[in-house]
Amino acid sequence: MIVADPKPFLQVKGYLEDFQKVLVVGCGTCTTVCLSGGEAEVQILASGLRIAFGKDGRKKTILEGCVQRQCDLEFIVPVLSQVEAEGIDAVVSLACGVGVNFLADRLGNIPIFPGLDTTFYGANMQQGLWAEMCAGCGSCIVAYTGGICPVARCSKHLLNGPCGGSEKGKCEVDPKNIDCVWQLIYDRLKRLGRLEDLRNLLPAKDWSTASDGGVRRSAREQLYDVK
Amino acid sequence: MSMDKSSQGSLQSIAGDVLPTCSAACPVHTDTREYVQRISKGDYEGALDVLLEVNPFPSVCGRICHHPCESKCRRVAIDEAVSLRMLKRFVVENTAAHRIARRKKAVQINSDKSAAIIGAGPAGLTAAMDLALRGYKVKVYEKDTKLGGMLAHAIPRYRLPPEALAQDIEDILATGIEVHFGSSVGVDISFEQLRKENDAVLIAVGLSESHSLPIPGTGSKGVFLGVTFLWDVANGLCPELGERTLVIGGGNVAIDIARAAKRLGPKNVYMACLESREEMPAWKWEIAEAEEEGIEILNSWGPKAILEKDGAVRAMEFRRCASVFDAQRRFSPSYDESVTNTVEVDSVILGIGQKANLDFLLGSEVSVNGGRLTCDRESMATSEPGVFACGEVMTGPGSAIQAVGTGHDAAKVLAHYLETGEILKLPDKNTINIGELPAATAAKARRLDRVCVDLTDPAERIKDFSPIEPVYTEEEALSESRRCLSCATGAHLQFPNHCAGCLTCVRICPFGVAQVRRTAFMPPQECQTCGLCAAECPAFAIEVLRFPTAAMKKSMVENVAGLDLERVARPFLIAYCCVNGTTSRKYLKDQSAGEIMETGVLRILVPCVGRLSMADLVSPFELGADKVAVVSCPEGACYYPRVEGWLERRITRTQRYLDEIGLGGEKLQLFKMEGSGDESWTRIWERFRAVNLETAVGR
Ligand SMILES: Cc1cc2nc3c(=O)[nH]c(=O)nc-3n(C[C@H](O)[C@H](O)[C@H](O)COP(=O)(O)OP(=O)(O)OC[C@H]3O[C@@H](n4cnc5c(N)ncnc54)[C@H](O)[C@@H]3O)c2cc1C
Ligand code: SF4
Ligand code: SF4
Repeated sequence: MIVADPKPFLQVKGYLEDFQKVLVVGCGTCTTVCLSGGEAEVQILASGLRIAFGKDGRKKTILEGCVQRQCDLEFIVPVLSQVEAEGIDAVVSLACGVGVNFLADRLGNIPIFPGLDTTFYGANMQQGLWAEMCAGCGSCIVAYTGGICPVARCSKHLLNGPCGGSEKGKCEVDPKNIDCVWQLIYDRLKRLGRLEDLRNLLPAKDWSTASDGGVRRSAREQLYDVK
Repeated sequence: MSMDKSSQGSLQSIAGDVLPTCSAACPVHTDTREYVQRISKGDYEGALDVLLEVNPFPSVCGRICHHPCESKCRRVAIDEAVSLRMLKRFVVENTAAHRIARRKKAVQINSDKSAAIIGAGPAGLTAAMDLALRGYKVKVYEKDTKLGGMLAHAIPRYRLPPEALAQDIEDILATGIEVHFGSSVGVDISFEQLRKENDAVLIAVGLSESHSLPIPGTGSKGVFLGVTFLWDVANGLCPELGERTLVIGGGNVAIDIARAAKRLGPKNVYMACLESREEMPAWKWEIAEAEEEGIEILNSWGPKAILEKDGAVRAMEFRRCASVFDAQRRFSPSYDESVTNTVEVDSVILGIGQKANLDFLLGSEVSVNGGRLTCDRESMATSEPGVFACGEVMTGPGSAIQAVGTGHDAAKVLAHYLETGEILKLPDKNTINIGELPAATAAKARRLDRVCVDLTDPAERIKDFSPIEPVYTEEEALSESRRCLSCATGAHLQFPNHCAGCLTCVRICPFGVAQVRRTAFMPPQECQTCGLCAAECPAFAIEVLRFPTAAMKKSMVENVAGLDLERVARPFLIAYCCVNGTTSRKYLKDQSAGEIMETGVLRILVPCVGRLSMADLVSPFELGADKVAVVSCPEGACYYPRVEGWLERRITRTQRYLDEIGLGGEKLQLFKMEGSGDESWTRIWERFRAVNLETAVGR
């Protein structure tokens, strides 16, 4: 799942100084699950904006909405129509960056602002806590690392670790909160009886499948004509 | 603003037709949960409306109902049943004016058909009322001069004072039934004549005579039949009892006889019965109360003979009762004749059971078999077309509320017969109930002591027939009403398409009942209605039926819209308060706009403030509040586990947010009640209103 965190309130408010009629729109998928962009957060942010602008003596219309996913056209069509029909002059999206971009491409001359900072692809560690698990590099190597990703979970993205900063299983970058992923990989391979794998050094990675190779697309030929 | 009653309407069970166990157990399916919830919101009049919906005898039942509802209350899995009978009594005793105001008036007779009802006990009167309200002409024939049957002339006054019965009877009479008092069918008017004059006849004569015993000596002076004895007592004729009085029987009627006898002055009152202590059919609490009054119970003795001297009772001879029931649990006592016992007594009262007197049917076509009226339970029809039966004459010994239930049924079958000339088979009575509270959920619930009242001291109570049980005070009733779990009115996925399956509900539910099966699912029979899941749901997809916060918000908005914000006393405080803190309905009442403007306080009562979401905490500021107070129960007193901690975190987060938006977090404060809400709320509100936030935090 994509994880995103709320932006500081004043930053969002700052985006909106010049606009009169604003739509705050949430996303019912990833950012609902990570508790930063669902129906509830939309209400809280919209309420806060109304109060804060009101306090400054500037009455603005702040509308609320939430769609199932902002990264699918069918789901955002109603938002686009609403913006047009109601003369909305700015949109705040509480989706991840994907939703913001996807809407921006379709909003014509209406500005859109992110309400969240999109952070990572992560998993829920415990109630209210998420951690990064994958970096979306486009060529997965975890077959050789016990299923654990050093690209995403090593602070230095080392393909052959650990570095000298691994101490008692913790990463020197933040020993309180970050496990040394190479310790995790070692422990896991040991449990799997495959410590030998560590002798095969991973070759330098071809980052062209990651964002270094340009904007990526992904097609399913059974549904899409691949040119 | 008090909890919004109108927008909520009746509590709708999530489980559809599935009844809570209490209502399912009640013979007339009183909407128990609803009346108890109305009490808890201070709507005693509304609670009375619920009671009267199905039961014309709520005053009687508030005193003497054997309350099958309580026996099945799901709270027993946690601690003890909710004291439903006492709550009912509280309602009727605090709504007298409303009861008169809402009294149903006679409806225009709209049928040329008439029905005669024999017997004005609870069964006959209920049927009469229902038929009269449907527009039929109804004539009730009652051999006594009082209405109410056994309620009027058997149940002793210390349990059921005549005023309570009168309250119910007045309602019934107002519906325009015609009553012929002192009119014994078979003596004063013949059954045949009733048949001739009416299109249908309902036999509701109850079981008006006591069984005697086939042993020597029953004709001696000093031997009484139980029902006759109680009738005399109820009518102020004091039967003369000797110093040592013995009551035969081990059921509730025998207990009433013994306790009534005790109040007439004998030094020793004994009860003797076939059953062992465990087998005694009387309710445990009745037995305990009798013993407190000094009644001595002799168990496992079978009456052998009443010994007399000069025609008067001298002693009672017993033989050991070895067993009461046979292998099939049928009544079939066996005796050990070698063990006997003689108890010297001066009076003997027989309380071993009642039977119907059906002499008035002699010579009619209505079939009677072995002293019992032949009657089909499903259609209530006797062997004769147009003649029906209800109440104990049909069911055998039962309870007042059961008799009422059969009275309602009888009205249905009679009306059908009067309209169509056909017999109506009543639908299957089996109801589906939500079942017991699962042990795993019960184990996590907080135990709350049942509110008990002290009966009059036994030494005092045996002095006369004064009622021995005090009614709940308002504080007691409110407190007891809040023990009701309001079963099956908990969390419900109101907007399934909003649910992202995020698992927050599963993780936060303090009872471990919420689940995600692609979307959230809160099993209605397990949910304890705390509302935490709804408060934390990031999609606002969950609503708690018992107290929908959407409705709360709507009425808050309406309340504020009714104010002139320029003139509201400042600072304007919106105070969310836990309803469980109230000890009277002072704060449960709706506030007028004038009151809010003058005091500068709008109160919003919530059953557990833990269910307020962050949006609920922020929105009052948008409406114009200067400060928002959340007043929870005293430390550690929350009805739900773990809620306090979650609420504190939510408030802290909201305070930070209010700081961020430039309003100031200190404008939202969490307070804990000191004692009750009635005692401490005004103080808390005023104190908070008086704090000068500008200087206090250097803003
Ligand atoms: C001592 C005692 C204590 C009880 N305690 C409780 C209790 O605590 N809780 C509870 O729920 N139930 C209690 N009951 C049971 C309850 O009273 C009965 O279930 C209920 O009264 C039965 O109602 P009914 O209408 O069928 O008959 P009844 O109440 O017996 O009424 C029948 C009526 O018919 C009249 N009648 C009879 N023959 C004729 C005739 N030929 N012509 C005209 N009128 C006639 C009688 O006078 C009587 O008024 C008690 C019963 C007794 C005897
Ligand atoms: S807790 Fe309330 S609703 Fe549930 S069975 Fe008991 S009285 Fe009925
Ligand atoms: S959190 Fe409370 S309201 Fe929600 S399912 Fe659990 S018990 Fe029910």
